[in-house]
Amino acid sequence: MRSVPEELVTTAGIEAVPAVRLDHVTKKFGDFTAVDDISLEVGENRFFALLGPSGCGKTTTLRIIGGFEEPTAGVVYLHGDDVTGLKPYRRPVNTVFQSYALFPHLTVWENVAFGLRRRRFDDAEIRRRVAEMLELVQLTGRENQKPGQLSGGQQQRVALARALINHPRVLLLDEPLGALDLKLRKEMQIELKRIQQEVGITFIHVTHDQEEAMTMADTIAVMNHGRIERLGSPTEIYEDPKTEFTASFLGASNLMEVQVVDGSAGRVALPGGDELRVPAGRLPAGERKAKVGVRPEKIRLVEPGSAVQGNTVTGRVVDASFIGVSTHYLVKTAPGQEMAVTVQNLEDHRFRPGDDVVCVWNPEHTFVVR
Amino acid sequence: MTTTAAVTGRRRWVPYLLMAPGGLWLLIFYFVPIARLVEVSLQSGIFPRYRFTWEVGNYLRLFTDFLPHLQRSLLYGLGATLIGLLIAYPLAYGIAFRGGRYKNLLLVLLLMPFLMPFLLRTLSWRIILADNGPVVEALRTVGLLGADGRLLATGVAVVAGITYNFLPFTTLPIYVSLEKIDRSLIEAANDLYASPVVAFWKVTFPLSMPGVVAGSLLTGIPAIGDYVNAELLGTPEQYMLGNVIQSRFLRVLDYPSAAALSFSLMLAILLILIPYIRATGTEDLVA
Ligand SMILES: Nc1ncnc2c1ncn2[C@@H]1O[C@H](COP(=O)(O)OP(=O)(O)OP(=O)(O)O)[C@@H](O)[C@H]1O
Ligand SMILES: [Mg+2]
Repeated sequence: MRSVPEELVTTAGIEAVPAVRLDHVTKKFGDFTAVDDISLEVGENRFFALLGPSGCGKTTTLRIIGGFEEPTAGVVYLHGDDVTGLKPYRRPVNTVFQSYALFPHLTVWENVAFGLRRRRFDDAEIRRRVAEMLELVQLTGRENQKPGQLSGGQQQRVALARALINHPRVLLLDEPLGALDLKLRKEMQIELKRIQQEVGITFIHVTHDQEEAMTMADTIAVMNHGRIERLGSPTEIYEDPKTEFTASFLGASNLMEVQVVDGSAGRVALPGGDELRVPAGRLPAGERKAKVGVRPEKIRLVEPGSAVQGNTVTGRVVDASFIGVSTHYLVKTAPGQEMAVTVQNLEDHRFRPGDDVVCVWNPEHTFVVR
Repeated sequence: MTTTAAVTGRRRWVPYLLMAPGGLWLLIFYFVPIARLVEVSLQSGIFPRYRFTWEVGNYLRLFTDFLPHLQRSLLYGLGATLIGLLIAYPLAYGIAFRGGRYKNLLLVLLLMPFLMPFLLRTLSWRIILADNGPVVEALRTVGLLGADGRLLATGVAVVAGITYNFLPFTTLPIYVSLEKIDRSLIEAANDLYASPVVAFWKVTFPLSMPGVVAGSLLTGIPAIGDYVNAELLGTPEQYMLGNVIQSRFLRVLDYPSAAALSFSLMLAILLILIPYIRATGTEDLVA
């Protein structure tokens, strides 16, 4: 493996070297392109999520970083070193596999010690670090059990401990919480985030659960058909998804087809003629038509005739469902579209199906998608 | 309350009920014959009049007359099992891990020779190992065998025959246990700094132990008791205990000593088996 150039180590420039860099990476299986020309950088100590629907190429991308799959084209860098042809056992990364892949014939202790043993650490050191690690994942006392005797959540933590104990510079996690029930998953999300902050290692976390990605990651790459659709912080990609796929994958997005009235001023018109405003600069230049959207929780409902500011669309409530923390409405708008609206239960007044209403939102919350 | 008690009562009986046909089979065709074998082994007299007299002398003949045969049985049988394992493991590994879409074809090819009758297969080894046959010629040329050295009618031929005849029984269980191994376990080992060789010894091999044990038992037990290979590929010099039992039963018609030798061989195999299974501890692996 090539080492980091001297001048980078001695200057503050080391921070500029990303932990992982993919440069135009493509992976084909026969004629099928599983990963299509992906380029991305993951900074040191980041919690990075690869988010996308089933079959979009998340696992394949992760396996390319781990060295289990050779890219058809492109280069993989770990901390600035080209590792493209390097075998997995020579890469400073460790993986938590989708199915955990715990060694069934070894005890919990032996599973966790496996990596250190291969690297010939001395026994005292191994014992100390395994004990420390089992404490971190709260499995002290289970040393002598076999993986088959543990619950799903415990197995998941053994898999995590087995990878983390090697102090990898990058930890790859392939849907590590996929097999857990909802409550345990929520707990482990917080737990994983805590551990990541505690050990200060770059995590690349694959998931198809957008809520999980948003809770845990500080950067998310949304993947679709082997490509990265959108990359950014959870708020960025949620508030301004930029593509129709990202918008709808991250939640309800009330997309509307509009005519551009004045692109530079951010003025657009709905088919019925009502005008909406969009933050200037979001509209693509020179286009006559566009698609805009707004998240359900950004919309307020008021009675017709109320004095309001912002974007307004009139409509009629077709469905209202009270779910405790909020009320979900479905509003049929004048242009003949349905809008999802989530309203916090701050006031006693609730609308009923059949009521005429006006949907109001801040123009800043309107996004434009391709 | 009474209904649940009745249901659990019935549930408790179902497994025994399911075991009944097999149990009955074993009782009639296994335990009864063995009891009869023990009884015959303690008889004395002259054919056809044998009477039960607690004749322990039948067993002593194993040590006075047939000790070399017992030794050969163990040597040839265990030797063939060991050589069989050394051949079968790489074979099974190759099919399971490198066979790709030809896996089934390769398995069929492995079994193909065994569509031919057992006797014919063994006899064909006489041609292969014959004094002027290709194998002997080749070994003579490279000097591994002297000018008048031979293979047929030696222990080598007998062990070769046994090894060959039991090879599928060694290979198939190993193949099955290798095939069952989750490939992500090997990737996990690679991920944890194990090179392919280390991953094999630390993960693949231990996980294939149930197959190794099953294969060696399926081969070893009948191999120790075998007599056909020694008869067709060897001479009386190579005869194993199986040959003695066969001739005592069918030619000499000395049933008591034949029975005593049979029973002794069973005990000998059992004595080898118990420590072997203990040492390999497969019950841990299947859990
Ligand atoms: N070894 C392979 N041979 C052929 N096709 C493959 C191989 N591995 C993956 N694929 C294909 O590549 C595509 C992407 O697979 P990948 O496992 O990366 O998806 P994923 O995003 O992880 O999906 P999931 O959420 O279901 O795990 C799939 O269509 C899959 O069928
Ligand atoms: Mg996957």
